[in-house]
Amino acid sequence: MTTTEPTQAPAQRVINGRASRIDPKDYPDWFKAKRRGGSLIVHPLVPAVMVGLPILVIVAIVIYPTIWMFYHAFHDTNMMSLFSGDWAAVGFDNFGLVLSSDRFLSSIERLGIYLLFGACLQVLLGTALALLLYEGIRNNLARTIILILLVLPMMLPPSIVGVLWKFLLQANNGAINHLLINIGVMEATARIEWLDSGLSLWSLVLADTWQWTALPLLIVYSGRVSLPPAVYEAARVDGASSWRVLSRITLPMLREIIAIAFIIRFMDAYKFVDKVYVMTSGGPAESSELPVFVAFQKGIREFQIGEAAAYAILIFLFAAILVTLFLQYLKRVLRAQQTQ
Amino acid sequence: MGKHNLQLTRRLLLAFLAVWLVFTLFPLYFMLVTSLKPVDEINRMVPTFWPETMQVGNYAGIFADPGSLQSIVDSLIVSSANTVLSLFLGTLAGYALARYLRGPVGENLAFFILSQRMFPPVAILIPMFFLFDATPWGADSHISLIILYLVFNMPLATWLMMVFFRDTPRELEEAAYLDGYRPFRAFFKVTLPLVFPGMISVAMLCWIFAWNEYLFANILTGTSVKTFPVHIPTFTQGSQTLWNLVMAFSLVAMLPPVILFIVLRRYMVRGLSLGVVKG
Repeated sequence: MTTTEPTQAPAQRVINGRASRIDPKDYPDWFKAKRRGGSLIVHPLVPAVMVGLPILVIVAIVIYPTIWMFYHAFHDTNMMSLFSGDWAAVGFDNFGLVLSSDRFLSSIERLGIYLLFGACLQVLLGTALALLLYEGIRNNLARTIILILLVLPMMLPPSIVGVLWKFLLQANNGAINHLLINIGVMEATARIEWLDSGLSLWSLVLADTWQWTALPLLIVYSGRVSLPPAVYEAARVDGASSWRVLSRITLPMLREIIAIAFIIRFMDAYKFVDKVYVMTSGGPAESSELPVFVAFQKGIREFQIGEAAAYAILIFLFAAILVTLFLQYLKRVLRAQQTQ
Repeated sequence: MGKHNLQLTRRLLLAFLAVWLVFTLFPLYFMLVTSLKPVDEINRMVPTFWPETMQVGNYAGIFADPGSLQSIVDSLIVSSANTVLSLFLGTLAGYALARYLRGPVGENLAFFILSQRMFPPVAILIPMFFLFDATPWGADSHISLIILYLVFNMPLATWLMMVFFRDTPRELEEAAYLDGYRPFRAFFKVTLPLVFPGMISVAMLCWIFAWNEYLFANILTGTSVKTFPVHIPTFTQGSQTLWNLVMAFSLVAMLPPVILFIVLRRYMVRGLSLGVVKG
């Protein structure tokens, strides 16, 4: 690497160096500093362009479509009118339609169940498993191997996990039902209809938990690894019980990391839809539809674009609240980390 | 708590870990077993937990199928091109945010860019489904996916590159300036080599996210372009799903992410936790 070259003896060269007018104290504003000839070393436009490019991309592929959606949420657009270009303003009718429909309200209820028993439980389980793995297994190699094995489901595409669990949960010759029979939990003739309307949502939660418990597990485990051993040494000398060490040292020190794991998992879960497509297609009879899925169905299968836009806007606004809160927290955590 | 009690708790907790390990591994095991079975054995009323007839040829069967090969090629094109683009934009912006724009403006910009990753893409995808049709290449193309995957990969790359650039000591660059290096040269000679490992991990992370992506690909493409996550669920012959090929293909497609993870575990954790966990 060439990193050492300029650092070797900068002091002597300052006097005759071309850029000798820079005072390091002026940093981060050094792009205001000038070369001898009077031209700027870094033109102020350079950082603007560097950050401007991604912002431009975001405007093109995120902001513009979002505005498009806002516009059509207040119009009665459908497939036909979209192509012929005649749609009428209908005010808040689309929102009224959405908010009063049973389909939307029950999908919200399902989202609540999914977030609580899917996302939240995954973070709790992942945290518990991570700490168990770290404290319980003493051998370093064994620990790493178990960690890698536990994280394997995360490496599969979510759609494939959906396919896999659809296969495992088949009622008649599915592996899960027959496994339950083989270990004696169930009678040989009994069949659990996992993908029927009663259980389809829970099957989605099951498949999702199988895959994504690994993410909080991985994050919390790595956080635990990076905690300073000296603290634990001191606690051991003081004769603190392992329960006390957990509740007074480990969990408080990991609080931020667990919160971040929760935030990441929660935001992903909020837009969860791929397994719904593959495993149940929202069915049977709309019994496993989540709000995002309904929005897609309305827009792309039923071509009720105005109504789909209203769905999307409602989902978007709620997400905006969550994202704002989460980013505030992330900002605080990162600031605290920087001042440490 | 008595000593005996403590031992018992410890055993119970370890048993829980073991149960979870079995729960995690059983579906993967059954995937492997299924990928080795012939179709008629899979369709039996009582599934076998070890293949009676080994049919290793299933793995060759994937590569004999032109659709499957094409889907791998499509996935490779989309995820690689998107990774290059995300990394390029992310490195530029990340550097500017870490070095030039350290005040509140830069901070807000960084959080704005990151927030784009957290929003559900529903408000983007439905319009894009219609808007991309108006472009010369259409929605069902590599370009549309390469561009749209920027929605989640570019914010991640920008954010993480910013975190990595902040970690490199700025004094090295200052020393280079005092030596008469132009900013461009200082960036390439001094800073870039330092963040190179981080860049690799960001690239791998972006690549895996694009490689595994299903929703965008399912809604926008599917006829002329078909990435493998969209292709695999359609692995059928007549009305019959060829589960053995589905499972064999899935296991093969899982290999690149798994290998990358084993090699670059530390860096990936950093990326997955948005830079919070130092790893």
